[in-house]
Amino acid sequence: MENPENLYPVDEELQKFIDYRKRSGTIWRGVFLMSLFVAILVLIVLMLNIINDAFGLVALENEVDPHSLVTGYQENTMVSMPNTFASTNHAALAAVIQQNETGIGFVGHAHYQTNADDLRLIAVDGQFPTAETVADGSYPFARPLYIYTALDTLQSEPAVAGYFRFYLENANNSGGELGYFLADETLMADQINLIDTLAGGPQALDSLGGNLALSGSSSLYPLSRQMLLDFRQAGFGGDISIEQIGSEAGIEAFCRGDIQVLNASRPMTVAEAATCQRNRVNPVEIAVGLDALAIVSHPSLDFLESVSLKEMGQIFAAMNYWDEIDPSYPVEPIVRAVPGEGSGSLELLSGSMFSTIGLENLSGAAYAEIIRENLGRGRGRALERDQRFLAEGFIFDSQTAFNGACASAEPPTGCAQPARDRDNLLDLIEQEIIVPQIQQTWPLYDSIFNRQAIVAEASRKYPDAIVEFKSWLNPDFLVNPQSSEAELAGVRTAIWGTVMVVATTFLFSFPVGVGAAIYLEEYADSTKWYNKIIQTNISNLAGVPSIIYGMLGLTVFVRLLLPLTSGEMFGRVAEGTDPSGRTVISAGLTLGLLILPIIIINAQEALRAVPNSMRRAGMGLGATKWQTTWSHVLPAALPGILTGTILAMSRAVGETAPLIVVGASTVIRTDPTFFSRFTVLPIQIFQWTSRPQPEFQNLAAAAIIVLLLILLTLNASAVILRNRYSTSS
Amino acid sequence: MINSPVHDIDLTEDVALSLRKKTKWHETLIQGALVACGILSVFTTIGIVVILLNESISFFTREVFEITNKSIATDIGPADTTFETTASGSTLVVGQIVRVDDELMEVLAVDGLSLTVERGIQGTEVSFHTADEEIEKSVRVPFREVFTGSRWQPRLQQFGMWPLILSTLMISVISMIVALPLGLASAIYLSEYASNRTRSIVKPILEVLAGIPTVVYGYFALTFMTPFLERAFFGDNIQVFNTLSAGIVVGVLIIPLVSSMSEDALHAVPQSLRNASYGLGATKLETALRVVLPAALSGVTAAFVVAISRAIGETMVVAVAAGAGPRNFEWSQVFTNYGETPLNPLQSAETMTGHIVRISGGDLSYNSIDYNSIFAIGLVLFLITLTLNIISRRIVERFREVYD
Repeated sequence: MENPENLYPVDEELQKFIDYRKRSGTIWRGVFLMSLFVAILVLIVLMLNIINDAFGLVALENEVDPHSLVTGYQENTMVSMPNTFASTNHAALAAVIQQNETGIGFVGHAHYQTNADDLRLIAVDGQFPTAETVADGSYPFARPLYIYTALDTLQSEPAVAGYFRFYLENANNSGGELGYFLADETLMADQINLIDTLAGGPQALDSLGGNLALSGSSSLYPLSRQMLLDFRQAGFGGDISIEQIGSEAGIEAFCRGDIQVLNASRPMTVAEAATCQRNRVNPVEIAVGLDALAIVSHPSLDFLESVSLKEMGQIFAAMNYWDEIDPSYPVEPIVRAVPGEGSGSLELLSGSMFSTIGLENLSGAAYAEIIRENLGRGRGRALERDQRFLAEGFIFDSQTAFNGACASAEPPTGCAQPARDRDNLLDLIEQEIIVPQIQQTWPLYDSIFNRQAIVAEASRKYPDAIVEFKSWLNPDFLVNPQSSEAELAGVRTAIWGTVMVVATTFLFSFPVGVGAAIYLEEYADSTKWYNKIIQTNISNLAGVPSIIYGMLGLTVFVRLLLPLTSGEMFGRVAEGTDPSGRTVISAGLTLGLLILPIIIINAQEALRAVPNSMRRAGMGLGATKWQTTWSHVLPAALPGILTGTILAMSRAVGETAPLIVVGASTVIRTDPTFFSRFTVLPIQIFQWTSRPQPEFQNLAAAAIIVLLLILLTLNASAVILRNRYSTSS
Repeated sequence: MINSPVHDIDLTEDVALSLRKKTKWHETLIQGALVACGILSVFTTIGIVVILLNESISFFTREVFEITNKSIATDIGPADTTFETTASGSTLVVGQIVRVDDELMEVLAVDGLSLTVERGIQGTEVSFHTADEEIEKSVRVPFREVFTGSRWQPRLQQFGMWPLILSTLMISVISMIVALPLGLASAIYLSEYASNRTRSIVKPILEVLAGIPTVVYGYFALTFMTPFLERAFFGDNIQVFNTLSAGIVVGVLIIPLVSSMSEDALHAVPQSLRNASYGLGATKLETALRVVLPAALSGVTAAFVVAISRAIGETMVVAVAAGAGPRNFEWSQVFTNYGETPLNPLQSAETMTGHIVRISGGDLSYNSIDYNSIFAIGLVLFLITLTLNIISRRIVERFREVYD
């Protein structure tokens, strides 16, 4: 017989074996714990990911600069004030001021120089236009002047190239006498080189063929004219002509190819240059000098020494009599002379004069005016029918057409509603005219830790954009309806949709589910085959993929029960429109069927937990089965039933797939009714997530936070309910 | 009543009658209503089955028109019933329905290249046709192709469901690789190792994870998991929409289901078994893996099966992250060039559920081939998940170890 000791490890070997078992125990325990942590880690990462996307820096670019709306409005006001004379011709402006004893106005500094005896120069914020104040920018109404020609013209017509070179060489000599401010000498030399590169070297003036025709700005007129005359004096033999039509009209005509050489008192905008390029006019821009706009008055207005920008705003765009500005001034009407619309001077003037006024400072009437000026007629009329802009009168619509629409079978909403208030108009300007557009977004982490790099990148890629920190989850996001502009989109309609769909679900599935549970627990004989079938069936239904319920809903509620779910039965479908079953009711009922098994199973458990003694007590007192159930069993089981129901509801709130199949819409701008098409939060999230533009991912993240908060509220109330009743009983 | 005169109780028939249980009509009515509530759930199932079957039958019996490469040889007027066809293309047989432009005709006789037809059947309009117009012939959706074919494009008469089935299986396999080990290990830790305090903290977290809507997981897969996989492992090889990321995230969302069902099963194993194991000198690990787990095997297996069923039916994650458009392939390439089949997890592919969502997402017109086809897919989906759920319940019932 063998020694039994050999069967088992002994001494060192035993110790080793025990150590091995201990070690593997520890290692595996670690592995199990890690697995658990993975789940928790995922939850943390998921939440962080959402928060990371829901906040962060954005680069925002407006389609229309809000400030240009303000200046545009103020310009119009200024030009249409009483006793105001507007012209693109500065000589005419100077004449008006000379002739009126209470006249004040703007003329180019060159024009002031020629009429210096009859005009009185007024300082702006204590600064007179001088070479220094203009050069260092402390005098606000100064700007460079330009002449333009097309590259083709420059190269094919030697007269133009010769004139340009002559202009650059001599402008600084005669410009000073004419009241212009001199341009930088090196700049002029550089530009001469440019002309030589583009058009070849200098040629003798008397050999230049062809004619010269200038047009455009009135501010540059005196200088260009002088240059033309000097040019002829120097030997040019062709015909010369010059007109003054204002910079804007000039640029327009130039870009059509109608003007040979253009005078402009402002540089071309990017948009104007693009128009030129489209017309195959390739503009060559040459700066020829600086001009200042002088504010001048009739010599008799000697009480005005210096004015501030704000006072100028009052003088030119608000008041009618001098004493309204200061009681010590005479009671005389203000007679104004301002540069006409479409001139570079007016732009320069209003850009500085109204720079202190923000869009939010304007009145409701001003907003209505801005809308009139900037909104398309068709869109404006549609908006006006939704809700009127003015309490009295119309901007786009006519009284008769509006009355006609109101008398029709389907009156627009504007008939019954009061006119839009100031805030509403401001919102409208923002949404329809300014249309802020997000160029790029950055997640929260980068926004905090790489802020500088982001700002630098943004200013390089989007020079016109503002970079600001944006919380995608904000009050506007909650109250705005769906929109195709990420900046303006919100979840109001989706939240309403969710609330109404879930309300329908509750009204349907709670009574039915609890009823079924009561039947199965209190009445049914669970040994009978048919009750077994019901029970098995309910647990099988709980395992059916939710999308199958969507198909059930699509066939039964959307198609078969169309008259009911579209509201046709209740007269809720407008005549002439096709009834659609893709409504809140259909969605609610579909989700009702989906969560019915969950409610039944939970309610059954709650009923099962009620002790039998309660039933017997009820029965013993002679109560019927229903009386016992209603007044004893149900109240005892109610907390459990409600907890289960709330959990089932939170499942319904988050369901997406069946609603897509039932036909949730994605673009719903008006609040839903029970018989209207609908969208819900998860659908909105799905739609935004599926869009390629990154800003919609941010919107989706914000919507997810809203959805999770709703679910958290529901679940927390379920927990509170459970705790309150479990302690009291 | 207190002040009523006291009678001697006289056991006459009247009294006996009044003591008998009375049938109250409103009690019956209430009970009827409750029964109806119970039966509604049965009707739901019946409804699902009937609707899926019904629409699937319309799918399989639907006429679709196939290009024959044959066309009319001469112009035919509205009154002509016999005309010549070109020699090319497939041959037509008597009784076949053909379509020329929008008009349907039934072939009455074939004589060489000449066809005799009945014009304008099924209410279509008889019209003039010029030579060279295509003749299309009607075919039924081929039953065999649906379950063997490898291309799914119903509008182009390609009805092989395998691209959808294969990508569904792919997602399920990936998700199971994630969910089963993690879920089971978590369950073992929670049931065998964790203190009550740990459990009271961790279980609610798992419940939160289980309660997050699946569309949120879809967002997570697209905006976190895919970029993460791209940066950490695959670089440019991984597409923006891919089955790997969707599969992993589906796995994550199933972890709570697996772990809670498995933990219930492990927890139900009586303490006496563990004590006996410890008494024999087993360590905690040995007890957990060799005693408790085998004892709870039926419950754990059931959890696995339910998890598979859940993964197959999962919709939103795959709709968001796995891609749009079925990945059609050739059977001959499945093993030689699997990178072009749905078996490549780095490429986009569309599952059955994803396809249903995408097709029904637009304004789907009823009675189109697409509309019918999603019900056929739904039927397959329903049958798979139902079978899995029934199997899971059978496992629990049949293999349950009963300890007293």
